[in-house]
Amino acid sequence: MNPYLPVLMFLVFGVTIGLILSAISYFVGPQGKKNSIKSEPYECGVPMAGVAQEKFSVKFYLTAILFILFDIETVFLYVWARTFGELGWFGVVEIFVFLVILLAGYIYVLRRGALEWN
Amino acid sequence: MLETVLGFFRENDFWLEFLITVIKIIVVFGICAQIPPFMVWFERRAPAFMQRRKGPNRVGLFGFRLFGLIQPLADTIKLIFKEEVVPTGAHKFFYHIAPVFSLFTSLMVAAAIPFGPPLVILGRTITLSVVNLDVGFLFIFALSSLGVYGITLAGYSSNNKYSLMGALRAAAQMISYEIPLGLSLIPIVIIFGTLDLNSIVVAQANVWDWGIFRAPISFFLFVIAMFAETNRAPFDLAESEAELVAGFHTEYNSFKFSLFYFGEYVSMFVLSCLASICFFGGWQTGFISQNDLTSLLFGIQPLAVLVGVLMTFLKASFFMWLFVWVRWTLPRFRYDQLMNLGWKFMMPIGLFNIVLTAVIAGAIAFK
Amino acid sequence: MGEWIAFGALAGTIIMCALFVVLGRNPVGCAIALVIKLFALAGMYGVIGADFLAAIQVIIYAGAIMVLFTFVIMLLNVPPDSRSRWDRPPVEFLMVGLSVLALFGVGIYLIFGAFAGEGVEVLTRSLVTEQGGNTLMIGRLLFSKYVWPFELASILILMAIIASIVIAKKYNTEES
Repeated sequence: MNPYLPVLMFLVFGVTIGLILSAISYFVGPQGKKNSIKSEPYECGVPMAGVAQEKFSVKFYLTAILFILFDIETVFLYVWARTFGELGWFGVVEIFVFLVILLAGYIYVLRRGALEWN
Repeated sequence: MLETVLGFFRENDFWLEFLITVIKIIVVFGICAQIPPFMVWFERRAPAFMQRRKGPNRVGLFGFRLFGLIQPLADTIKLIFKEEVVPTGAHKFFYHIAPVFSLFTSLMVAAAIPFGPPLVILGRTITLSVVNLDVGFLFIFALSSLGVYGITLAGYSSNNKYSLMGALRAAAQMISYEIPLGLSLIPIVIIFGTLDLNSIVVAQANVWDWGIFRAPISFFLFVIAMFAETNRAPFDLAESEAELVAGFHTEYNSFKFSLFYFGEYVSMFVLSCLASICFFGGWQTGFISQNDLTSLLFGIQPLAVLVGVLMTFLKASFFMWLFVWVRWTLPRFRYDQLMNLGWKFMMPIGLFNIVLTAVIAGAIAFK
Repeated sequence: MGEWIAFGALAGTIIMCALFVVLGRNPVGCAIALVIKLFALAGMYGVIGADFLAAIQVIIYAGAIMVLFTFVIMLLNVPPDSRSRWDRPPVEFLMVGLSVLALFGVGIYLIFGAFAGEGVEVLTRSLVTEQGGNTLMIGRLLFSKYVWPFELASILILMAIIASIVIAKKYNTEES
């Protein structure tokens, strides 16, 4: 039996249960009138000011991009760690080169202040 | 009738495996479903005792108060029957789907966790994990990565700028701590030489072989990353009560609100199980091997399996208790402190840890 | 037989999600459809025995790259498409149709022509397991035969880091 079949079964099960639970309160709770004040987005009791989207902050974009790049590095490290036993010292040297290059990138990021949050 | 059913199963091995998997799924889901109510109760009683008061102990069923254990049941029933107010302008589909996303990614991680040693029954070996992948770690890592979407969608679909900002900050926090989480587990892969969780537990039969003695820096990093991944204190700025109203689930009420907490407690539980597997020997007792244990228990293998399962829960409970203890003890991090910790402190230490482990393991293995 | 059912279901999901990505109105909806499509593609990799590739697909593509897309879409507040999807010059439909057919042709040629000959080793799941599993096999190749591409990949990642910071800083200074 394909090892992914239990994954699929669990997935179907989990999603179904989630949908049922999510729908429960929708159907069981009292259906109040659609009062416009009640349905307004909550802002400490004050009527909603402005549109619901904020100005673009480039920090989120940078964090996401750096996350992608270091995630790729982590994946390579997982492959290397799995084959560690077979590679010997040559493997250690290989990954060391890889890490040094990426460390240079990391230091560049730090020096340019791309990870400053305020 | 029984004969035909048994005969059918004896013929088609596939359907027998299918049935076993269905049973495993139901059991695992049952376990995961009991954790949030219990944790809700614990989360209110434990800080009460820490703060020299008593916490909820009034709710009773048939006159039995049971230390307030009925309280979560009462809360759930109340929440289910509350009216569900969908805010105007909210994106209907995502508003209803987001809690499900959150829940199902946490649940799926529980599929790869071995809860006990393999059960040998009627000549059949059944491993106590729903899925048996040989890339177990990567499977868990993959599903944690998907957990970001539940929060992001919840914040986006609420049409509330506080929800959106809270959601984006929570999402940025989660992805920032996924890298230290991944990096901290690489020395474990180096030391044990496998990505399969079952093999990692089997290799920790002796208590001095446990992960925590062989990779202590990893343990330190993993615990911190674990707190940040689940958005738990002291990293819970995204859902803190005093800031940003209530963050990404401001506009959620009734049962959907509790679904988010369901997902959070389940992910706390599975990460606790992962920590116990990697660092504390999982279902191993640490001083008795499985064979010795079986012969000690009158040769009944299921009893040895039961002991193993109890060990897993014991170790996971330690981490769950740690979660609650830390939450009610430490003050919250400011958001920039949080991000600095993840990127500037934990990542270099994680990389250094990997190099150190590689050099030491290389010296041991390759001379 | 079960494999054919899985393949059919997954392929159907992939096609539907991909169509939704292209033809959908709400950008966030399209992004989520793409995530689901990538998840289904990972399932497809799992069915044929490429466990490692399936996990990587979810970790990197669905879990990192799509997060970036989603962030940008949400932060930029891209409004839903207001005009009709079919309101385009007919030559665009023709070009899309031709390129899809061309891709199909290439795919069929690869499956039945180039890779179908003898000398191609078909890796079944049992063969993979006895050699130590997917990750081990990939690692063996990656760090011995293909070590130069591996190191070049690290340089590529370094370039990407530098480029993204340069672009973001430029935007930042333009803003302030």
